[in-house]
Amino acid sequence: MFGRMAYMELRAGWKGLLIFSILLFIVSAGMPLIFPTYRDSLTEELEGANKVNLELPNEQGGNITLSWEPLETATGYMVLEDNRSSMVTAKLKYIGNETSITFEKDFEEKRYYAVMAVVDETSDPVLIGIATTEKGEDPFQELMKNPAYAGFTGGRNISMLEVKGFITLEFFSWWWMLAGLFIAYLSVSVIASDFENKRMDVMLSTPISRRRYLLEKFSAMSIIALFTILVAIVGLAGGLANINALGEFPAEAVFLSLVGCLPFLMVIAAVGMLTAVLFQKVRVGMGITFAFVFAEFFLFTFGNFSKSLEWMKTISIFKYWDYSSVIIDDLFKTGDFILLAVLAIALIIIGIWVFEKKDIPT
Amino acid sequence: MDQEKVIEIKNLTKMYGNIVGVKDLNLTVYKGEIMGFLGPNGAGKTTTIRSCLALLAKTAGEITIFGLDSHRDAVAIRKRTGYLPGDFGLIPSVKVSSYLKYLLSLRECDSTKKMVSLAERLELDLDRKTHELSKGNKLKVGIIQALMADQDLIIMDEPSGLDPLVQQEFYRILREEKKQGKTIFMSSHNLAEVESVCERVAIIRKGQLVVVEDIQVLREKTGKVLEVEFSDPVTIDEFKLKGVSEIQQDNGRFILTIHENLDGVIGAVSNHRILNMSLKTYSLEQLFLKYYAEEEENERGNA
Repeated sequence: MFGRMAYMELRAGWKGLLIFSILLFIVSAGMPLIFPTYRDSLTEELEGANKVNLELPNEQGGNITLSWEPLETATGYMVLEDNRSSMVTAKLKYIGNETSITFEKDFEEKRYYAVMAVVDETSDPVLIGIATTEKGEDPFQELMKNPAYAGFTGGRNISMLEVKGFITLEFFSWWWMLAGLFIAYLSVSVIASDFENKRMDVMLSTPISRRRYLLEKFSAMSIIALFTILVAIVGLAGGLANINALGEFPAEAVFLSLVGCLPFLMVIAAVGMLTAVLFQKVRVGMGITFAFVFAEFFLFTFGNFSKSLEWMKTISIFKYWDYSSVIIDDLFKTGDFILLAVLAIALIIIGIWVFEKKDIPT
Repeated sequence: MDQEKVIEIKNLTKMYGNIVGVKDLNLTVYKGEIMGFLGPNGAGKTTTIRSCLALLAKTAGEITIFGLDSHRDAVAIRKRTGYLPGDFGLIPSVKVSSYLKYLLSLRECDSTKKMVSLAERLELDLDRKTHELSKGNKLKVGIIQALMADQDLIIMDEPSGLDPLVQQEFYRILREEKKQGKTIFMSSHNLAEVESVCERVAIIRKGQLVVVEDIQVLREKTGKVLEVEFSDPVTIDEFKLKGVSEIQQDNGRFILTIHENLDGVIGAVSNHRILNMSLKTYSLEQLFLKYYAEEEENERGNA
């Protein structure tokens, strides 16, 4: 009966799977819990500018008025200007005793103004606050200008101040690594260790064909992948419920965004199994499969850099698991899901073909 | 011979790159016999066996088992075949009984009766964990899994290394299996082991079959070596008897090569006070020397 080997695989490996699942649950349930604190720390920094007021002109080329709350101990004020919130390349805009300045808006891009009070000549100036020309936008939006980060959201405009943005960037960007490498490791070792520990002779002297052997192991891997996904879904949804964020980030979106990862993990499992039957060594198979996962990731990020590199993205499996689409656009890409599943099956068929040709080493 | 052929190997060649594993090997194993497959390490025994089980892809030749093609019909053949590999590993951290039951389930066999009785006879504790087993106990697990599903054909690659008493029990089990009509094909590098249980022996050396012989014929050809030490004076002439082909003397110690008339020789020996005595089977190396000497003689004769 089909399934006995898959069952044995799960039975023999349940301890490792349990430990991994607990780790996974802690991280996925814990991540949303961090969000409120994280958001407060960000907005605090922004609102450090609540003492600073910036009035923008209605039309292009008008005047900007920047005013700030006076500080009693101040002997003077200085204003720094930069196009980065970090102010590392800031230039001095104003120095004097006024608490309000007006200047022409002769630029297009976003600018930041840091207002500082000079207390006395011996100590450093004190920051009163930072204001930006594009209000309501968190300074971390800049992060999204980096194509490597933007790739994670498919170039969608999201805010780290919203739970959706936070989870997309903080949870999903490491989830692929954790789950992907776990599946890569398992899928290589369940087969290559049968070679290395000389279990293959006994196994293949039973009426189990090599095709069935591989399909059973692949089924076991798919079940494990699905299980880890379910653990993450329960953890993440539970965490979101705990901070009352399910209205903003519905459980349905949690489910669909993570389930979309199943064929993605199955492709990794199929690559792992293919390398395992090809090289029959745990270390070699693991090295190649890990390299495959990282190479796919880099192809995806490079593909976001420019139009000319976009082809790289299309050959990366990361493009076809578009969780941002589910989270932000409310759209589950069924076509991509099927495409990855077909790819996984094609890789397993190649694996079977290779396995049937090869000698079993002694 | 109109006997039913169970294994039929025709012109089997297996190359590992440029290295010859087996070359042009022809061999037939008949239903209900225990056939020994004898050769030194690296002669090609394991290669031949693993080719039969489709674990290796043949370079050339044809193998049929139960009249089925060894590669195309591998799964159908394996349903009726039990196999003990020369070297194998167990699934770690499970009970021996769980492991064996798992293999039984893969063979779609529900009865654990034979598994339990074999374990009792070979003195193996089924409640032990697989990774705790000694080498000998691991071999017992291998033997049990090869026999437990009542297979028609049992292929064993060097089933040696058990304690002498258990080894005897193992031979008894093999003889019982044979009586039930099972066919057994087992390899060994030890002539004495093969002699005690097999009826026919195929000898392989450097990837090529040297000879296939009935054990009786082989026995007569090779003979036994009797080593005996006396405390009283004995003359060499007393042992110049029928069936004795060679006598070596070293003071009171005699080494006799005997082909037949064993009782006559023992009679002559018992006329004196014996200090020590042993009867040995020819070693495989001596056997090879003998066959090569014959071959060379034939070649010389032909020339």
